[in-house]
Amino acid sequence: MTHPYTTRLSAPPSGAPHPLRRVIGLFAAILFLAAAAADARWERIPEAVALLDGAEPRAGALELDLPTVTQNGSSVPLTVRFPESRGENETVEALYIFAPGNPSPEVAEFSLTPALGNGELSTRIRLNQSQPVVALARTRSGDWLAGTREVRVTVSGCITANQDNDANAMQPRARASQRVRTGQLVDVRTLIRHPMETGLRERDDGTVVPERIIQSFEARRNGETILSARFHRAVSANPYLLFHVDPRTAGGTLELTWTEDTGESASATVEVPSAP
Amino acid sequence: MKHGAFNRRNALKLMGTGGLGLLFGGAAVRGSASSRSGRVVVVGGGFGGATAAKYLKRISPGLDVTLVEPAKRYYTCPFTNLYLGGLREFESLGHGYDELRDRYGVRVVHAMAKDIDVSGKKVVLEDGSELPWDRLVLSPGIDFRWGALEGYDEAASQKAPHAWKAGPQTHLLRRQLEAMEDGGTFILVAPENPYRCPPGPYERVSMIAHYMKTHKPRSKVLLLDAKDVFSKQGLFQQGWRDNYGDRIEWVGRSDDGRVMRVDADKLEVETEFGTIHKADVLNVVPPQKAGIIAERAGVTDETGWVPVDPATFRARRAEDIYVIGDATEAAPMPKSGFVANSQAKAVARAIAAELAGLDPIAEPGWANTCYSVIAPDYGITVANVYEVHDGELREVPGSGGVSPMEATPAFRSREAAYAEAWYAAIAQDTWGTRPA
Ligand SMILES: Cc1cc2nc3c(=O)[nH]c(=O)nc-3n(C[C@H](O)[C@H](O)[C@H](O)COP(=O)(O)OP(=O)(O)OC[C@H]3O[C@@H](n4cnc5c(N)ncnc54)[C@H](O)[C@@H]3O)c2cc1C
Repeated sequence: MTHPYTTRLSAPPSGAPHPLRRVIGLFAAILFLAAAAADARWERIPEAVALLDGAEPRAGALELDLPTVTQNGSSVPLTVRFPESRGENETVEALYIFAPGNPSPEVAEFSLTPALGNGELSTRIRLNQSQPVVALARTRSGDWLAGTREVRVTVSGCITANQDNDANAMQPRARASQRVRTGQLVDVRTLIRHPMETGLRERDDGTVVPERIIQSFEARRNGETILSARFHRAVSANPYLLFHVDPRTAGGTLELTWTEDTGESASATVEVPSAP
Repeated sequence: MKHGAFNRRNALKLMGTGGLGLLFGGAAVRGSASSRSGRVVVVGGGFGGATAAKYLKRISPGLDVTLVEPAKRYYTCPFTNLYLGGLREFESLGHGYDELRDRYGVRVVHAMAKDIDVSGKKVVLEDGSELPWDRLVLSPGIDFRWGALEGYDEAASQKAPHAWKAGPQTHLLRRQLEAMEDGGTFILVAPENPYRCPPGPYERVSMIAHYMKTHKPRSKVLLLDAKDVFSKQGLFQQGWRDNYGDRIEWVGRSDDGRVMRVDADKLEVETEFGTIHKADVLNVVPPQKAGIIAERAGVTDETGWVPVDPATFRARRAEDIYVIGDATEAAPMPKSGFVANSQAKAVARAIAAELAGLDPIAEPGWANTCYSVIAPDYGITVANVYEVHDGELREVPGSGGVSPMEATPAFRSREAAYAEAWYAAIAQDTWGTRPA
C-alpha cells in the first residue's frame, strides 16, 4: 500500500493529459538522472563501502518511498521495494539502510528469506537533517542493488523530546491482512511501544538519558526464522515494521520477538492466512 | 485548444463593460510598455486569491486584474469550528467581493475555471470563454483524494462529513451533532501531514467538546490520529484537561490511531491493527492535494502539491504562473489562511515589479500566526516568520514561538479575544469586508 504523501520516483505524473505533458516527461527524466547520479552516495559511507567490499551495486535498482519534505524528522515513513525477480536467485536476502547525515549513519539491517516473497518493507526512521537516505541490498546470487532518495527535513528528528513516560513500553502489536487475493502477498504489520532512546537526549538538568533501544526483531514460523532485523537508534520511537509474507508457502502462525539492548524481550503471535 | 490572439469581444462579454477603461486604457504601471503586458488573472477568491487581486491593484492601480471565483459569497474555514461550538453565527463567516470590485477596481468573474491553456496563456471558463493573461496566479486551495482512505469517497462524505471546506458540509456536521443523542460518541479521523490547517482537527474537537459540555454532557469525543505528534500538542492537551476533563480522548498512530478503512453506512472505522470504532457522528478529514485546476495547469508534482520557487512562488513547472496558499509545497510554512494572505502580498509585489520592469524583491519574508480557540475564554497561538535561506524556505531562527505552558486564565482569555480580533483584521485585509 502506498502512503498517500510519499512519492515514487517511477510514478507517472498525476492529472489529465495536457500540452505540458511532454515537458513534465522531460522533468521526470532530469529528475531520474539526478537521482541516478546521487546514488553513488554509498561511496561516501564507510560502513557501506566495507559491506560492498569492492562490489559494484546496480544504482537505482531499489525503489525508496519517502516524503520529499518532512516537517517531523523524528518519524519519517520509509518503504523499500525490490525489482521484479526472475527466480529465487534474484530475490533479496539482505537489506541495509543508511542515513549518512545522522550522527551515526546506520539505520537498520534486515535478513530476508523466500517466505517473504521478495515483497516490500516499510518502517519509520529518524532523520537529523536534510539528507539522502541510502539503501543497499544483496540478492541470493550475490548481486548488489542500491537506491537513494533525498529528503528535506524542516524539524530535526534527534532532538525531539521523547516522553519520559514509558509506562506502555514493550507492548507489542501485530496484524496480518486477512483478505488474500490470488497471487498476492499478505501484509504483516508490527509495532512495539518503545522510546528508542538515542543516548543523545539531555534532561532539563543537563544529564544525558542513556541509550536504550529495541535492538532486534525476529519473525519465526515453525521454529524457523523467516525475517530478522537489527535496529539502530535511527529507527523511530515505537518501532514499526511492515513486511510481506507469501501465503502459498508461509501461511500459519508467526512468532514475533523484539529484544532490547538490555536483553529484555517481548513477543506476540500473528496468524497469516494460507492460500493455495 | 485555441492559441489565437486575444479576442476582445469575448473578453468584453465576459467581464462586463464596467472595467473597459482599465482594460484598454493606457499603461498605468511605471515603465511598462503597453497595457497588454499588464494582464493578471487570479483563480480562486479565498485567502490567497482575494488578497493577491487586491494588493496587485493597490500596488499598481493600472494593472488589469481579473479574479475568477464561482462563489458570490465566500465562507471562511477559519472559525467554522467556533460555529460548530456555538460561538459564532455561520453568516458572520461570509465575505463578498463588492469592495474588491468597487473600491480597488478588480474585475470579478463569478465562474469556475475549467482549464488553463499554458502556452496560449489563457484561463478557460466552464462556458468555454477565455481570459488571457500575462501573469497567472492560482490560489485554488485544496481538493480531496477521494478513495485514498479506503471507503471514503464523495458519497461517503454525505454520511460522514469532512467539513474541511466551509459550506454545506459544515451545516451537515452541525445538524448531525444536534441530532445526536446525549451520551453519543463523536469520532474525528485526522490525516497524516501535510494537510490544510495543522491545528484544525484539534481546535475542532475542542469546540465539539464545548458544544457537548453545554448541550450533551454525557457525550464523548474520540480523536483517531495518523500522527504521533501534532501542532501545539502540549497546549491542546493541557487545555482539554482544563476545560473538558477526560471528555476528549486522543489516540496517536503508535497507539493504533491510524484509520485504514471507513464504513460510512455503519459509521464505523477500522484502524491499522484492526480495532473497530463505532461513532454516532463521524467526521473524517481525508487526505488532500492541491485544487484540481493546478493539476490542469500541469504545475503539480507526484505528491499532488505544487512545487514553487521559494523566493517568488513561481511554479517550478511553468513560466509566468504563480501559485500560493494551500495548494503549494511551502513547508515549513503551514497551510493556513494567514500564510496564504502573506504569500499573496509577496507575490503581488513580485508580479507588479516584474511587469513594471523593476528588480525582484531582494529579501522576501512571510509570517504566520495560528490562533486556536479551545473554549470561549481559552485561546492559544503559534507564530513564526519565514525567509529564504540557501535557496530554501525556513523559519527565521528565534522568530517564533507558542503560548507558554504556564499561563494565567486571564492570559488564555486574552488570547481568545485576540483570535476574534485577528479574524476581523484578516477578513478586512483580504476582502475588505467589515466583520458582521
Ligand atoms: C476547520 C478549519 C479551520 C481553519 N482555521 C484557520 C485559522 O484559524 N487560521 C488560519 O490562518 N487558517 C485556518 N484554516 C486554513 C485556511 O482555511 C486555509 O489555509 C485557507 O483557506 C487557504 O487559502 P487558499 O487561498 O489557498 O484557499 P481557499 O481559501 O480555499 O480558496 C480557494 C478558492 O478557490 C476557488 N476555486 C477553486 N478552484 C477553482 C477554479 N477552478 N476556478 C475558480 N475558483 C476556484 C474556491 O471556490 C475557493 O473559494 C482553517 C481551515 C479549516 C478547514
